[in-house]
Amino acid sequence: MEESSTTTLGDRVRRAQRGDEGAMRELIVAYQRRVAGFAYAITGRSDSVEDLAQMVFVKMARALDRLKAPEQFESWLFRLARNTCIDHLRRQKLRRIFTPFAPEHENVPEPAGAVDSEELDALRHALAQLRPKDRALLALVQEGRSHAEIAATFRTSVAAVKARLHRAREQLRQHYHRDET
Amino acid sequence: MKPEDQAWMQLREHAASRISPGFPDRVLREARGERSPLFVAQFAMCAATAALCLGAVALYQSGVSGDDDAKNLAGWSEITAQANDLEQGL
Repeated sequence: MEESSTTTLGDRVRRAQRGDEGAMRELIVAYQRRVAGFAYAITGRSDSVEDLAQMVFVKMARALDRLKAPEQFESWLFRLARNTCIDHLRRQKLRRIFTPFAPEHENVPEPAGAVDSEELDALRHALAQLRPKDRALLALVQEGRSHAEIAATFRTSVAAVKARLHRAREQLRQHYHRDET
Repeated sequence: MKPEDQAWMQLREHAASRISPGFPDRVLREARGERSPLFVAQFAMCAATAALCLGAVALYQSGVSGDDDAKNLAGWSEITAQANDLEQGL
């Protein structure tokens, strides 16, 4: 089952690499929800999710022919998504240096009705207390990436990933339960 | 299921709901380097506004500098006439 789904994905990626637009569309449709969730976990802003997802998929479409191992498409895509989100946060930080906003404009709350559950609100607040790289780490785990894949994404060792993951989970748990109470 | 897991699921669902219909088409269009019709319209509007402003400034400037030239010429003519009168008096 696992093998056949990998084969199907590999075939689809290979077709997209050959310029098959239908296959490219299938890849976007298959991953758009997951990439959106991943971007939301890292940035904490649902209003920029669609723009970020679009940037990720445009980069994917333009760089797909350089992917040498189509079977590793998923981890490649999430590495692309992670880098895009971190770059976006860096640019935002840089922009704030040149156009400083008042504190009340720094953390504009989500529009009314955007977050309609206490659990989600608590998770968003807890994630916001973590560093962007730790948020990306937790989001990659939620996406089912293995420790080895994450280590490759972060260009570090598996042991370092495990240690950072343990710390990030601990911090998230603390903030999550503090926000809940 | 842990409460956090439930929250992660909600987070993914909430994010997915922000993706508007036609998303794959927009991505493919952007990847091909095509701009959306809205972008083209906005760009055309900006270009027209800029051209209009530039034209207005050039028109105003040519009027102002024409007046200045006329005043300067009149001033110089007066000075020349005075210099001539002075020369004849000497």
